[in-house]
Amino acid sequence: MTDRAMPDVRVVDISQGIAGPYATKLLADAGAAVIKVEPPAGDYTRRLGPFPGDVPDPEQSGLYLHLNTSKRSVTLDVSVPSGQVVLRKLLAKADVFVTGEKTSTLQAWGLTCADLRSQFPDLVVAQVSPFGATGPYADYDGNSLTAMAMSTIMYNTGEPDREPLATGGEPGAYIAGVQLWIGILAALENRAKRGGGDHVDVSMAEAVAAADEYNAAMYGFQGAIRRRYYSRHIFGYPNDIMECMDGHVVVIPGAGGFPSPLASDSISPMALLFEDPDLDQTVFFKQMGERMVNWREFEALIHPFLSTHTAMEIVMTAQALRLPFAFVPNAADLLFDEHLAERGFFVRQQDSKAGDITLPGAPFRMTETPLAMSPAPERGSANADVLVGELGYEQGDLTILSDQGVI
Amino acid sequence: MSTNALPLEGIRVVDLAQVFAGPACTRILADLGADVIRFESPNRLDVTRSLIITENDGLDHYYHRASYFVIRNTGKREVVVDLAKEEGREITRKLIARADVVVESFTPRVMANFGLDYERLKQIKPDIIMCSLSGYGQDGPMRDFAGYGMGLEPASGLSSITGYEGGPPIRSGLSFTDPYSGFIGAGAILTALHYRRRTGKGQYIDLSEQEAAIPIMAASLLDQQMNGRPTPRRGDRSAYAAPQGCYRCAGDDRWAVISCENDAEFERLAQATGHPEWVRDPRFATVLARHEHHDELDALITAWTSQRDHYDVMHTLQRAGVKAAAVLDGKEALFDPQFKARGHFDIVDQPLLGKRPVQRHMAAKFTRFEAKTRRPAPLLGQHNEEVLQELGYSDEEIAALKEAAVIADKPNLPVPPQLVAMALKLPYDRYLEHRILLAIEPDYREQLGIAD
Repeated sequence: MTDRAMPDVRVVDISQGIAGPYATKLLADAGAAVIKVEPPAGDYTRRLGPFPGDVPDPEQSGLYLHLNTSKRSVTLDVSVPSGQVVLRKLLAKADVFVTGEKTSTLQAWGLTCADLRSQFPDLVVAQVSPFGATGPYADYDGNSLTAMAMSTIMYNTGEPDREPLATGGEPGAYIAGVQLWIGILAALENRAKRGGGDHVDVSMAEAVAAADEYNAAMYGFQGAIRRRYYSRHIFGYPNDIMECMDGHVVVIPGAGGFPSPLASDSISPMALLFEDPDLDQTVFFKQMGERMVNWREFEALIHPFLSTHTAMEIVMTAQALRLPFAFVPNAADLLFDEHLAERGFFVRQQDSKAGDITLPGAPFRMTETPLAMSPAPERGSANADVLVGELGYEQGDLTILSDQGVI
Repeated sequence: MSTNALPLEGIRVVDLAQVFAGPACTRILADLGADVIRFESPNRLDVTRSLIITENDGLDHYYHRASYFVIRNTGKREVVVDLAKEEGREITRKLIARADVVVESFTPRVMANFGLDYERLKQIKPDIIMCSLSGYGQDGPMRDFAGYGMGLEPASGLSSITGYEGGPPIRSGLSFTDPYSGFIGAGAILTALHYRRRTGKGQYIDLSEQEAAIPIMAASLLDQQMNGRPTPRRGDRSAYAAPQGCYRCAGDDRWAVISCENDAEFERLAQATGHPEWVRDPRFATVLARHEHHDELDALITAWTSQRDHYDVMHTLQRAGVKAAAVLDGKEALFDPQFKARGHFDIVDQPLLGKRPVQRHMAAKFTRFEAKTRRPAPLLGQHNEEVLQELGYSDEEIAALKEAAVIADKPNLPVPPQLVAMALKLPYDRYLEHRILLAIEPDYREQLGIAD
């Protein structure tokens, strides 16, 4: 018998795209009542694919269906006064307001976070923007790529003589969404203890920079500036993706993979894996620095083995030797992955338009209050329920608002 | 008004996690006001205590000087306890009886072997919230896999869509899923605390680092299902926006990203670069044409960016309404005016190291409190006595525990620390020669304004 974690929280979300909607998805899947306020044309992710059969349909965008589970949809043009009146009525009944707009855009609409804070003192006003609500870049525009660029992570990703690479899948937007989600939860925690709302202000650039592993620290603690070198760590090689017979594996020696100066008679796990005890006598197995700078020679030593064994053989043997090697799956591999299937990670949904789809499941499991997903809403499907049923508008008002392009 | 009364004041976290993901998770909880008490083993230090050591002169105390450890463990207290000994487990159980949250990052079965699995923790503290961060989760055929962050980003699928066009899959220049899953863990724990406040019930959280990051793959997973199409690696280009990319700028290895998400943004790019004719050129006039002639357009954009500093490119284009950013290295981030204005780096006075910049892990800013670094990272076992006294141990008992090596403030390693420190000296001269490092600046503390 499971319960929901957050049925007592009401959220009004005017954000579009990935960051804000992912934050409110995590709240909605935990049971919060999330009203997704879309512009009358719909959240712009409805226009992004993938679509079944590459036929664009705002009700069948895979990205939208993933990011907006468990929400209700109301259409509303919040940039005009007639829409803002409705929005403020919604906010009077809400605990959390989420926006993905920059402060300058909100000001142009006459809808600033400061105004909302004073009109609704108990409201948590959560804003995610490319560079944050304050500071010299507050008006600058951006996306996941600009956030990755600012974070130092991109500078250190890729080949030394080519351009820096952004990690795939727009992770800058997702990590900003996760930081916004944590910020909302922290502000709600504070409100429960002390009363009163807050303004939660997340910069996408800072959200990714918070994930920096040691680039800024190397300068701040050593004066050293790290540079990309095939995305490799400075303190260990290989921790790298390498080609094998049928694809790729991640070759990770771990703490005890290479010969230990303490146990010089025993064969190292890496030499055992590669079936050649003599490897332990090479300078590349003995000294990390040598491996690192003469990596092509090191690779030549292990290439014969890698190129004649499958990823499955290599990873399973390595793991049996307690070497933390890993697979390099793509989307299709993940969808058919036995481990994920046994854990019940993916969620199959019957969408009214897109049909049978498999969505990524919850990013964590909870025993008492597991996250649960109901299908994403059709555009404006809760207009009557919310405006008439909850805010007290007449059915005829909807026609007027619709005629004016407000809903 | 910021009084800095923090949201998690009064929440105690027993932190048995190590390395990156777990410490990133509990650092957020610490910065939100929780009393986070780290555990380390005298026989096996957190490996990050040996990574990137400041002023590694090959002498003792290297484990107090590791910047990798410091930046993720500020704001916490620490005890060094041998969990292999029953008295050590007794200390842990006593602390858990007074705790709200337990975080651990061992492979499954380790906590059970210590007698500290969730079922037993519940007997000690019925409303405890326990979060296990592991590579692949607590069940399933890969549960016992050793999981390092370097492998878990690829395992989540992300590396399959990261790389140059036509090239092999590539990892990020960090173990991206480590901080990502750590942040997810902090949110999961806050969700569980929210539920506990309403119902009085704790619960168990099973966080698989691999799974936590798979939702980032959603568009690829859905394209695979809907159209049977694997997502190609496309460098820094976008499936939709064109042009988008990372462009060479003036200077040594300087770059800027530019992204035009529609015709209007492209027209602003053309105007700002002094090339209004691009908009009329049939190769670039429409988004489909720009996708088709992306290489030619990139060459023209590069001709403009390569004459300019990367920050000039960013500011010129942003002022014209085009999405752009300089690609920053570790030094530039510390000096960036936006990060500075918003206080992304706290200056922490770290014992033995002096003032040092430490990045925020809670990226959200609040008006009512500041989620900043509250205290330096703990020295090894720095809070042994303090924490044990709080648990009611007498001075005699504490001395006996120390004598029996149940608690310690020095590592008990098979190799003398001096030798370890020597072994951990990275060959920076050779790194410079091979451009694995861009530069080493001996006057960096003066430049940062943190010199003694």
